[in-house]
Amino acid sequence: MTAVPLQEQTAPPEVQAQRGFVQQLGRNPKFMVGIIIFLTLLIGALVLGALVDPATRSTGSFLPRQSPGTPGALLGTDTLGRSIAVQLLEAIPKSIQVGLLAAAVGTVLGALIGFSSGYFGGLVDTILRVLIDVFLSVPSLLFLILIASLVRGVDVTTMALIIGIFAWSWPARQVRAQVLTLKERGFVEISRMSGMSGMEIIIWELMPHMLPWLGANFVNAFIAAVLAESGLSILGLGPQREMTLGMMIYWALNYGAILQNMWWWWVTPVVSLMALFLSLYMVHIGFDEVANPRLQTEG
Amino acid sequence: MRGYLSYIGQRFAVFIITVFISITVVFVVPRLVPGDPMGAVFLSMAQMGGSAGAADLVREYERMFGLDQSIWVQYVAFWRELFNGNLGYSIATFPSQVSTLLRSAIPWTVGLLTVTTIISWVLGSVIGALVGWHKSRAFQALVPVALVLYTTPYYILAIILVYLFAFQVRVFPLSGATSLGAVAGFNWTYISDVLWHAALPALSIVLVSLGWWFLSMRSLITSLKGEDYILNAEAMGIKDRRIMWGYAFRNALLPQATGLAISMGNIVGGALITEVIFAYPGIGWVIFNAIKGLDFPVIQGGVLLIIVSVALANFVIDSLYPFIDPRIRYQSARS
Repeated sequence: MTAVPLQEQTAPPEVQAQRGFVQQLGRNPKFMVGIIIFLTLLIGALVLGALVDPATRSTGSFLPRQSPGTPGALLGTDTLGRSIAVQLLEAIPKSIQVGLLAAAVGTVLGALIGFSSGYFGGLVDTILRVLIDVFLSVPSLLFLILIASLVRGVDVTTMALIIGIFAWSWPARQVRAQVLTLKERGFVEISRMSGMSGMEIIIWELMPHMLPWLGANFVNAFIAAVLAESGLSILGLGPQREMTLGMMIYWALNYGAILQNMWWWWVTPVVSLMALFLSLYMVHIGFDEVANPRLQTEG
Repeated sequence: MRGYLSYIGQRFAVFIITVFISITVVFVVPRLVPGDPMGAVFLSMAQMGGSAGAADLVREYERMFGLDQSIWVQYVAFWRELFNGNLGYSIATFPSQVSTLLRSAIPWTVGLLTVTTIISWVLGSVIGALVGWHKSRAFQALVPVALVLYTTPYYILAIILVYLFAFQVRVFPLSGATSLGAVAGFNWTYISDVLWHAALPALSIVLVSLGWWFLSMRSLITSLKGEDYILNAEAMGIKDRRIMWGYAFRNALLPQATGLAISMGNIVGGALITEVIFAYPGIGWVIFNAIKGLDFPVIQGGVLLIIVSVALANFVIDSLYPFIDPRIRYQSARS
């Protein structure tokens, strides 16, 4: 059935827990459909992107304002004569890159803060808990707007780091709550009595139990980061020299794609973004169902 | 009553801490980030061939915020000006004040969001409860629709709606909050003009948040269905309709209200971009124009304003919470 309670009885727990977890993920239809759409988007964009003739990337490679189906520019061109398809192939991996990097930064920071808060308790916990609550209640987009408007001309990596620095509060709260319940379990008590230090217990005893949770949080942070990237880009704070899905929408809106009836210009990034979100949400739901078996009985 | 007061006291402390920490972050962050906002402005001003009044602006700024002094003096000055409601001057439209710009934007944002939040919350909760309670096929078909709506960002739906209902079928205006030359007043011409302009932005926000309220209410009701008190009520022969609204729905409202409180912040954040797409003259539009015009004081003022209002909204909702949830009332009375 579920992997988590089993771990306490059998040794070595870590390896078994992971294998069971991965197998369960593989059997979860939502997760599988989500991950397949996601990988198709990513790998498709990377492979096709590698095949693109670099000469077609620049402005004026094609006639401007061509509708989809034009020879050479499958998805049409924008007002500057750039191919929408070529832009898309650059934008998808870049948007995913922002999401992955920001989610990694946010989840690692959040896990560290959550672990310290839950495990050490006392004053550390009080201070960190207040910080977590504050950053949970204030929409991080605001801080992002503030920073991004100071750091003019961000690139994709900088943008991901800025988003990641403000993405720790939700994982931190989740990890803290988990650590609090795990802390009371017998095996932690035994490790403590056998002379393991606090850090050792966190890494060797608590971490393995937390990995599925962290995974679910990672996907969550990924979604939030892609959302933040497109939001910031539409506000005009995105990486101006690179293409992301958000920047594609920004340029389309900025050059009046809607009013000029150049629907292919804005529909392409919008549909891709929606497909990306839908796939990530399915991965997230699948992850959640496996990490938190009680959800499966619901609904 | 004493229990309630101590509860309110706690919530108030959280409110103060939230505001204090986030304002401190807003103060510290620009000073950590490489690149000085005023410097960037002067560079761009110089590129555009200089600007009259630039020197006055610097002097006024340095005086007001003590930018040539130590960071602690600056910090104290920052708070002092905030308490006086002084958010500084707009650079792009100097000498107009940031607070004046924001004040004219607040009613649009608050009006749009209050109405849409209430409509989507009520609609989403009621439909979600119906679908969760009645397991009929037709109702279940709504679930994937809600899922797609919920995973769609606000602004994406906004773009699609603009295209469909303002460009293809020109039923609603493309942008703005009133027609050009509309005279503000309490008369039907003006009010209908405002409603007509607000329809599409409102619809985009309502549809997206509806999805979320629908899904969470549905899963709440489904999980409540097996509870003992529901079974008991059924065994007592109480009418199904009464069990649903009086027993299940009422209990599910509680987490739903918490969700409402939490989502306030996200709604404000999401609607910033909705305003940009519709050129709706709220705070998001002001911030967007400030970004374009390198007008950092306005961006900072807008961010501060939203942070404080989100914290305040959370505090108000927390204070009202004991009236819906008696457990908090009893708990705080006992402790």
